[in-house]
Amino acid sequence: MLPNKFSLRTENRDGQTVVYLEGELDLEVASQLRTAMEPLLSLTDRRLTLNLKDLTYIDSTGIGILISVLKARHAKSAPFDVEQVPGQIRKLFDMTGITPFLIIRDV
Amino acid sequence: MAKERKVTLTVPAQAEFVDLIRLTLYGIASKMKFLFEEIEDMKVAVSEAVNNAVLHAYGGEDGLIEVVFTASAQELTIRVSDNGISFAPADDTESASLHGKSIEEIQSGGLGLYLMQALMDRVEVKRLGGTTVTLVKKRSNFEEQA
Repeated sequence: MLPNKFSLRTENRDGQTVVYLEGELDLEVASQLRTAMEPLLSLTDRRLTLNLKDLTYIDSTGIGILISVLKARHAKSAPFDVEQVPGQIRKLFDMTGITPFLIIRDV
Repeated sequence: MAKERKVTLTVPAQAEFVDLIRLTLYGIASKMKFLFEEIEDMKVAVSEAVNNAVLHAYGGEDGLIEVVFTASAQELTIRVSDNGISFAPADDTESASLHGKSIEEIQSGGLGLYLMQALMDRVEVKRLGGTTVTLVKKRSNFEEQA
């Protein structure tokens, strides 16, 4: 509806699936991300990465999705990490306490 | 900016209007010369309050959310209210972070309220014929403004 609208794009590299998030991840678009992530969770032989470089907003809705992805990948002993986390988003990760559960790469 | 000034916004209790409230907050907080980081903090806090109203106030029925921004010389007060039935699941009324938990224990319930409290100077939740959340952020540049 407004500028900074959310979008996502998936890229497959060698043995790795990278999902690039862009714009504002809020309640309105949460289901879009959940739907996109769902089929990727069970690909246990591939590393799953979320690239947050162009993500401009996240709140507990988006962090909640990260928690479910983390738990689903952990339950399957499948690798999951996040990369290029912007400062404001990193601050919210630290505040909520999700940071120690995440493998964060700066690329 | 000697006396209080109010801006009121009423939107349908639907997820697609949460960004409109963030945009309005951005405009008002910018006029009040809040720092970029403070504005980003308030965006999250006000969205959490509005998210709760969208998700829990009207049980899927149509309803409205009223957001009142009150700017004073010292602070910005944002009041988010609904006229819903105030049935919030227990995990929504308690503030909880993920600190000190195991991966099996972590969940998103309670994070919204936790973030509001961490990001604002004062948070008050009243449930009485609907829910009203009041969020207050002090102006850090108050000294130089006065």
